Amino acid sequence: MSTIDATHTGPHGHHEGSYLDGPAGFWSRIAQWAVTVDHKKIGVMYLFAVLFMFFLGGVAALAVRLELLDPVRDVVQPDGTSVTTGYILQSIFGATDGVSGNEIYNRAFTLHGAIMVFMFIVPSIPASLGNFFLPIMLGAKDVAFPRLNLLSWYIYVFGSIFGVLSILMGGVDTGWTFYTPYSLTTDADHWRVVLMVLAAFILGFSSILTGMNFIVTVHKLRAPGMGWFDMPLFIWAIYATSIIQVLATPVIGITLLLLIFERIFRIGIFDPAMGGDPVLYQHFFWFYSHPVVYVMILPAMGIISELLAVHCRKHIFGYRAIAFSSLGIAAVSFLVWGHHMFTAMGELAAMLFSALTFLVAIPTAIKVFNWIATLYKGSIALNTPMLYTLAFLFLFSIGGLTGLPLGALATDLHLHDSYFVVAHFHYVMMGGTVIAFVGGIHHWWPKMFGRMYNEKVGMLGCVIVFIGFNVTFFTQFILGTQGMPRRYANYVDEFQLLHQISTVGSWLLLVGFLVHLFNFIHSLLAGPKAPPNPWGGLTLEWETESPPIEHNFHHEPIVKHGPYDFDTVVPPHCDPKDFPLPDKA
Amino acid sequence: MSYTLAEQSWLSKFIFRAAPASDSAAWSDGLFMMIFWFSTFFFVLLMVLMVYWTVKYRRRPGVPAPVSPHHNTPLEIIWTVVPSSALLVIFILGFQGYLSKTVAPTGALELRVSAWKWGWAITYPNGAQSPETKFLEESADGTVVGNKYPIFYVPENTAVSLRMSSQDVIHAFWIPDFRTKMDVYPNRFTGYTFHTPTLGLEEEVFDETVGQNIPGRDMWVFCAEYCGDEHSRMAATIRVVPQFIYEQKLAEWNAPKDPVELGKQIHEGRCAICHSVNGTPGTGPTWKDLYGSQGLMSDGSTVLKDDNYIRESIYIPAAKIVAGYAGNMPSFQGQLDETQLDGIIAYMKTLSQHAPQPAGSDTGAEPATESTESQPNETTGGGQS
Ligand code: HEC
Ligand SMILES: [Cu+2]
Repeated sequence: MSTIDATHTGPHGHHEGSYLDGPAGFWSRIAQWAVTVDHKKIGVMYLFAVLFMFFLGGVAALAVRLELLDPVRDVVQPDGTSVTTGYILQSIFGATDGVSGNEIYNRAFTLHGAIMVFMFIVPSIPASLGNFFLPIMLGAKDVAFPRLNLLSWYIYVFGSIFGVLSILMGGVDTGWTFYTPYSLTTDADHWRVVLMVLAAFILGFSSILTGMNFIVTVHKLRAPGMGWFDMPLFIWAIYATSIIQVLATPVIGITLLLLIFERIFRIGIFDPAMGGDPVLYQHFFWFYSHPVVYVMILPAMGIISELLAVHCRKHIFGYRAIAFSSLGIAAVSFLVWGHHMFTAMGELAAMLFSALTFLVAIPTAIKVFNWIATLYKGSIALNTPMLYTLAFLFLFSIGGLTGLPLGALATDLHLHDSYFVVAHFHYVMMGGTVIAFVGGIHHWWPKMFGRMYNEKVGMLGCVIVFIGFNVTFFTQFILGTQGMPRRYANYVDEFQLLHQISTVGSWLLLVGFLVHLFNFIHSLLAGPKAPPNPWGGLTLEWETESPPIEHNFHHEPIVKHGPYDFDTVVPPHCDPKDFPLPDKA
Repeated sequence: MSYTLAEQSWLSKFIFRAAPASDSAAWSDGLFMMIFWFSTFFFVLLMVLMVYWTVKYRRRPGVPAPVSPHHNTPLEIIWTVVPSSALLVIFILGFQGYLSKTVAPTGALELRVSAWKWGWAITYPNGAQSPETKFLEESADGTVVGNKYPIFYVPENTAVSLRMSSQDVIHAFWIPDFRTKMDVYPNRFTGYTFHTPTLGLEEEVFDETVGQNIPGRDMWVFCAEYCGDEHSRMAATIRVVPQFIYEQKLAEWNAPKDPVELGKQIHEGRCAICHSVNGTPGTGPTWKDLYGSQGLMSDGSTVLKDDNYIRESIYIPAAKIVAGYAGNMPSFQGQLDETQLDGIIAYMKTLSQHAPQPAGSDTGAEPATESTESQPNETTGGGQS
């Protein structure tokens, strides 16, 4: 790379330490982190926070799967008495005051959904990896508004505390969608539902602030020489995501606020008993929550573009197509919310929303084709990030293709609100976003923490997660087409085998993630020191040290090549012998 | 238009379990399979390329990646246009199939579906409602039972249209065999249509009321929109029978009935999901020993549970809430008429030691359940005085 060598001392001769260095003493360390405005530290704090939420949501998911191991039955004994069997969660937690076995289940799946959506997956990639790498990849010292960045972290924590409080008070059973009028009437004399809705409301602000910050950063803080089309695709993806966040989140904010008002003051906007309209709520809710699906998946797509190029050591295929499709997806995503409500609307609306839904499938398909084409004539390293990239392509393709029978009206009338939908969005959200996230964490781990992780253990974890994922969720496609509705604590016997397989899969997933956890902890404690550029990447984060210094770069980098020019540039800090360039014809 | 059960392929059985029960269901299965094969083709193609290239172009130390283009406009246009046109076809077919499931032909048999937490009722054109119930599934050894759910009879080879509304929250009426569902709202009518199949010669179901098999086919109905605690037990059976049986049933249901028998049927079809008759507390208090007892209300008052109290509890449940229970019983105002109310009260009397036993009445209660009273729950008095 043609920028100035950044690993050595700065212009004034002093040596600047890693961003992880800090004052001695535990409490002064904590104090330093608590008031930091360094985007890297904030990114790391977000990373641990969202991973903790992933853990909480995962526990709820395991509970849900555990309950479904066995359907509830009233078994008639020979003496004519009957006993109820199959309430597994209830038998574990004991019969709590007046909470039925079904209700325990209903709370478990609500917690799973609410935590995973609002506290984990929406902030996950942008707030953690995005915060850490967006400024560095742009060659900036920090985001445009560092203090605002810290504020959004605190808002996130504050919102999450409300959510956790609601859980400690017993949890809610509304489903993460809070559909009215059920959400207005359930647990009427408790504050739990209000707290949970309030949590989602507050978390929205964190999301908006982060989005704004990123948009301004991308516009204003690109290093000299970096035009829009010299930006890494990860930045494009985060940029498109931020636009959605800023535009859509206020809508859910106002909707959730109305919901709270309706519950407390009975103003009659969503409750049919007072002349309100529950369908209006659904329109408002999905007007946000559909675009937000792309808030979840676009950053993952960005990660995949980076990982593919670096580990295939090849120029990404169709750079502009991928960049524009991100923006295209962001735009069309605002027009398709109605496809969550095909069973609630008239013919004309259903037809329009169905057509628009297919429209959004096209830019997504284009991305997948471009990624696969990038493999062609590459120099492909098979390591954990690359394995995760391949797993993403596999799982996300299934997730995308199973969207087709849901977008087609005739088949959706059957599949809507069945396990098919559950499987579909897990293939997209987990098989897409979570898989890319974990791959991205591996890819950038050496940069963030200055340590290498064990590659063999990482690959083992990836394989277990991949298998566990398919065992858990592929079965759910079949359950759905066979007629199993979602959000059921109980089911007819014919579905039991598939449910059991799915539950076993969830245990495999747990094992896979524990392997990764072990690997990361081991790396932090005893991993070998990471070189500045272990993979031979060309984006700017690989120019600085691992971990980066406090101000990211010793000198403001000047960009003289594209992020993916692997066929013309030897990556920074790399030995040209290891990076032979192809002969030019 | 009539649709007879065709030989089901193993793949269709694996994917859909039940064979499609109507033309439009078969049509939408066809669309599903078309999308399935289309997707499978592209998925396999992509994955084969992915794996093949990953292996072929794996990294070899010291060997540079061969030069290759960074993009290719004709290729990119092709892979945008080809899938787009395929999607257009899928969209059009999907809309066509949707119309056949939602727009009822003129002259269709209109059934009025009402939903509440947590049950279904259908009112037939002559005003009758089905009092019959059955277990959703029966195990071979007869030991395993669940709840009893209502059976809704429909005549074979007939266009049926549903007109649905809810008494409380949103539900959704899903008949997997017809491959269709629609949400059921408290503030508007929704509906859909299906054409019932023509029964095959050897298709039979067991009719409890006559104690023998009759020609027919049973299909599950599930609630598909989350509606609370017993959402997963909000089910019913659709039973397709020959026209003459259908007419016979309708006439039978409208004929006057023994009140206790009527009450028992209403309980099984509509109330059993929340009220037991054997002392076990559920979402609502048990009906055992309820009639004629004194009970504590949530406002601290004590009331005598007589005819008028019960009438009020059913029509205006929010008026008095039993202590220890959430006030989430749906109102049955407009759903149950005076005769049905009398039936319920008569049935409740047979369950209560506080009520004078009607002489010589065939009590509907199973005496065996007297001894099965499960652990009394402190929070729920169930009306014992
Ligand atoms: C959603 C569950 C549910 C269903 C279905 C239901 N109830 Fe109730 N019912 C309750 C609850 C909860 C209470 C106690 C709170 C109250 O008094 O409103 C109750 C109370 C009652 C009471 C007063 C009991 C007492 O101990 O004082 C009567 C009588 C009653 N229901 C009759 C019926 C009848 C008849 C039906 C069927 C047509 C029915 N209920 C269906 C939930 C239900
Ligand atoms: Cu329901």
